Amino acid sequence: MANRDGRDFDVVIIGAGVVGSAIARYLSRYDCSVAVVEKGSDVGGGASSRNSGVIHAGINSKPGTLRARFCMEGRRLLIDWCDQMNVPYEICGKLVVARREEEIPGLERLKRDGEENGVPDLRIISGDEAARLQPGIRCVAALHVPSSGIVSPYALTIALAEDAAVNGVVFFLDNRVEGIEPGEECFVVRTDKGILRGRWLINSAGIHAGEIARLIDPEAPPLYPCVGEYLILDRLVGERISMSVYPAPRVDNAGLGVHITPTTEGNVLLGPSNEYVADPEESRSTRPTMKRLLKEVRVMWPDVPESLVIGAYAGVRAKLTPPDAGGFGDYIIRRTPAYPRAIQLIGIESPGLTAAPAIARYVIDDIVRTEEPFEPKPDRAIAIRRWPRRFDELPEEEKQRLVSEDPDYGEIVCRCEGVTKHEVLHALRNPLGVKTLAGIKFRSRVTMGRCNGGYCLPRIVDMLQKEGGWTSDSFVLRGPSSPLFVGRVVEGEDA
Amino acid sequence: MTERRITCILCPNGCVLDVTYSGEPTEETISVVGNLCPRGISYALEELIRPKRTLTTSVLVIGGEEPLVSAKTASPIPRSKIDEARRELLRVVVEAPVAIGDLIAKDIAGTGVDVIATRGVGRV
Amino acid sequence: MPDRPRKTDVLVIGGGPAGLAAAASAAEAGARVLLVDRNRKLGGILNQCIHDGFGLHTFGEVLTGPEFAAHYVNKVLEAGVEVYTDTLVAGISAGGDVILTSFGSRWGIRAGAVVLAMGCRERTRGMIRIPGTRPAGVYTAGTAQWLTNMANIRVGNRIVILGSGDIGLIMARRLRWEGADVVAVIELLPYPSGLPRNITQCLDDYDIPLYLSHSVTEIHGRDRLEGVTVARYDDSRRPIPGTEFRIECDTLLLSVGLIPENELSRRGGVDIDRVTLGPRVDDRYVTSVDGVFACGNVLHIHDIADWAADEGTRAGRTAADYALGRVDRHRERIPVEAREGIRYVVPQSVDRTAGDALLSFRVREPGEDKVVTVKAGGDPIASERFRRVHPATMIQLSLPLKLPRDVDRLEVSLS
Repeated sequence: MANRDGRDFDVVIIGAGVVGSAIARYLSRYDCSVAVVEKGSDVGGGASSRNSGVIHAGINSKPGTLRARFCMEGRRLLIDWCDQMNVPYEICGKLVVARREEEIPGLERLKRDGEENGVPDLRIISGDEAARLQPGIRCVAALHVPSSGIVSPYALTIALAEDAAVNGVVFFLDNRVEGIEPGEECFVVRTDKGILRGRWLINSAGIHAGEIARLIDPEAPPLYPCVGEYLILDRLVGERISMSVYPAPRVDNAGLGVHITPTTEGNVLLGPSNEYVADPEESRSTRPTMKRLLKEVRVMWPDVPESLVIGAYAGVRAKLTPPDAGGFGDYIIRRTPAYPRAIQLIGIESPGLTAAPAIARYVIDDIVRTEEPFEPKPDRAIAIRRWPRRFDELPEEEKQRLVSEDPDYGEIVCRCEGVTKHEVLHALRNPLGVKTLAGIKFRSRVTMGRCNGGYCLPRIVDMLQKEGGWTSDSFVLRGPSSPLFVGRVVEGEDA
Repeated sequence: MTERRITCILCPNGCVLDVTYSGEPTEETISVVGNLCPRGISYALEELIRPKRTLTTSVLVIGGEEPLVSAKTASPIPRSKIDEARRELLRVVVEAPVAIGDLIAKDIAGTGVDVIATRGVGRV
Repeated sequence: MPDRPRKTDVLVIGGGPAGLAAAASAAEAGARVLLVDRNRKLGGILNQCIHDGFGLHTFGEVLTGPEFAAHYVNKVLEAGVEVYTDTLVAGISAGGDVILTSFGSRWGIRAGAVVLAMGCRERTRGMIRIPGTRPAGVYTAGTAQWLTNMANIRVGNRIVILGSGDIGLIMARRLRWEGADVVAVIELLPYPSGLPRNITQCLDDYDIPLYLSHSVTEIHGRDRLEGVTVARYDDSRRPIPGTEFRIECDTLLLSVGLIPENELSRRGGVDIDRVTLGPRVDDRYVTSVDGVFACGNVLHIHDIADWAADEGTRAGRTAADYALGRVDRHRERIPVEAREGIRYVVPQSVDRTAGDALLSFRVREPGEDKVVTVKAGGDPIASERFRRVHPATMIQLSLPLKLPRDVDRLEVSLS
């Protein structure tokens, strides 16, 4: 398609969460022009970076649903993509534990659903065996799910987006969609910064997908924001927890219950909670919920080390089921009846992360390319962008070698996470042009440790002011509306 | 009889001083209880008549390894002059290198007290 | 690759007050000493403490932090200590093998004795679980101090400070002096934690209100802080419903406690005390790992840098004696235990044959007219009366130890 002013694209994707970024990466393997429009200053700023980071096995999705289908297909693709991109993941297994005898039928139901979905090696085991697999866990019986795993959700999202970017996808960050005008040839997408035109439109706007859909489809279903709060435990605890532990399901649950999830970085997450709220942007931690998270975890893990909580966060799910219903609605992935080249993805919640690659394949291969068969690029035209190996995890000899090759590896900027200056600078040179503290944080791990930036924030500020020419107003947390500072103490003529 | 309770700030002991006097507070009229050392008595009198404080702040440096040098008034200045002293120091710029004890500003806010550097800053 | 030493007698980790003093005294005792610090300049936290109040105990003068540090830096250089700044200890093993890393270098060194003097870090919002959003504008007081005094950065315009410890009070005054509106200092306890002189010169002088028995119950503002909700708390440290009020502000400073920084110590296999959160040591400042010593804030949080430095002076000497083989390494340690009214005692053990010992401890509650008693095997061997005691004020007692053979513990109590 002739690109009149750099604003014409074959495909415009709205929303750079894990789904939008997966679609972007998938499309970047084809000969077509792609743009992603994102209201945040970085990718993955919504639910994509605020979930448990689980590679689901497929036991929690009702057989025959899109959720189940995309979970099973997605996990294979996801593992393959993570291997290609070096994104951290681990198939560590999961225990779904029955705290009381009455909960065992729930485990059996999960096992049946899982087996019907094709999940291998599911076994119901005794409380003792569960405690041998995961010391510290107390239960009467458990469903062992060996194929369940964990992945770094923010690393995944960023890796997908950056890979797409180095393969030609153009990201329009800090662009909030305000209107969409459907036309004969293309859709005109109006943002607060300008306009874009796309022959195809893909709405993967997460919690806002309903509003975006309604810009051209008044029949689009509503989404109900549902907050999930989490607590983060110190990496010291990661040595004690080696697999995820979920409670047996309760029928009315709008979620999967408060669970214990190790992370690929060695932390342990407790959560999420489940509260329907009115405001889709409301992500805050609340006192009663933080207490309840610990209380519920304590039933499964009596010695949960409360004193090792180092942080809390909250994400907002895009639920299709209203508060009085609970449970899960199946994914809505469909072409808009009046405008068939606009594809709406509504209600992509758990197992959204796992399903993302399969959703991408379905949307592109089974919908878009059946009508407009973009040619695949030859392999030599595709660059694979790899997530960097963490210096802290390398063997000592390799660390020494790297330090002698690049002196910036010798300077440790974040002591809690062992992050070097090289890695921080690499994070700043990202292909999306993101220069927020959160952007540096998710790409390099700085400030994610127990001291929460106490050691590294001064180092980063010092380094960037002295060597990078940054001034006090260059530093923002997540974007232009979250400046870290308000100016200088002593003003002077700039050197 | 006037009774005042003040905390001495001269050292971390922070003695709580109970001061009584009648009429105007002077060396003769005041009586101080609670001080662990004699400096507390002169502190109490000064605090009542003309309270003084040491100002410690930062001054802009050019050509230095750091953007600021820390500085202090060489001795306490009247509390009423602190804000004026600060504002004057905001306009002072020193050139690196700076050594501890270097003169930053003379007779700050007309108090007769100098401001000196409390840290060294090398040239970049 | 520049020539890096592979061996030394005493390696001191940390160039703050305790580490500087330890390095100087170890060198003065005849050891070859290497001092490493992760910052560009020696002095540790003292460099950003531009207020005065240091040095009265040691030098008889009232100095600012950097001036106090300079005295010790001179001692270190005059004593011939080898200094490596911009250098971090990346790893430590029980055998005295340490890995150091710096711009362009990463190398291993073996030390006859290691002195841990890494200081402390600040308790964070996440650790005390303040509910609410996660906007920009929430800083620990020490980080705000660094930004203000070292980086020439103004953190905010309208400030609320949680915690009335000295760091919070000093920052209240600092930010007020730099033109910010310091709206309130909030303190959970029914009494202030900082020195009374700081209440006077930081809060009273500027009419900054201090809310005792209060704390922050919620943080507001999605992108940048917009305000905090504050409430009164009861004796069980729970917010009292109905007492909440909101304070509009764009910055929240947290001065809610210091934690000895013992990650390295843990990796080196050193036992950590549950109360002090520092290594358990004996009267020579030896930890549970032979040849590894600890002093200063990494051992237990001090109120006064002078005392942290003094502790470093003592530990440096015993570390040098150990490394140079001057002492009998066999020790007969008996525990020193904190009893009624006492929160902790350092050292946690003493050698029964030691001629004397210096005990540092803190009381649990403020009080007046109290007596501290040290008992050996149930019999009092020392006692001292104090007009005022406060948990925020460390007490030290020097006592001679001539212990009968059957004494199996020392106990410190308050009455």
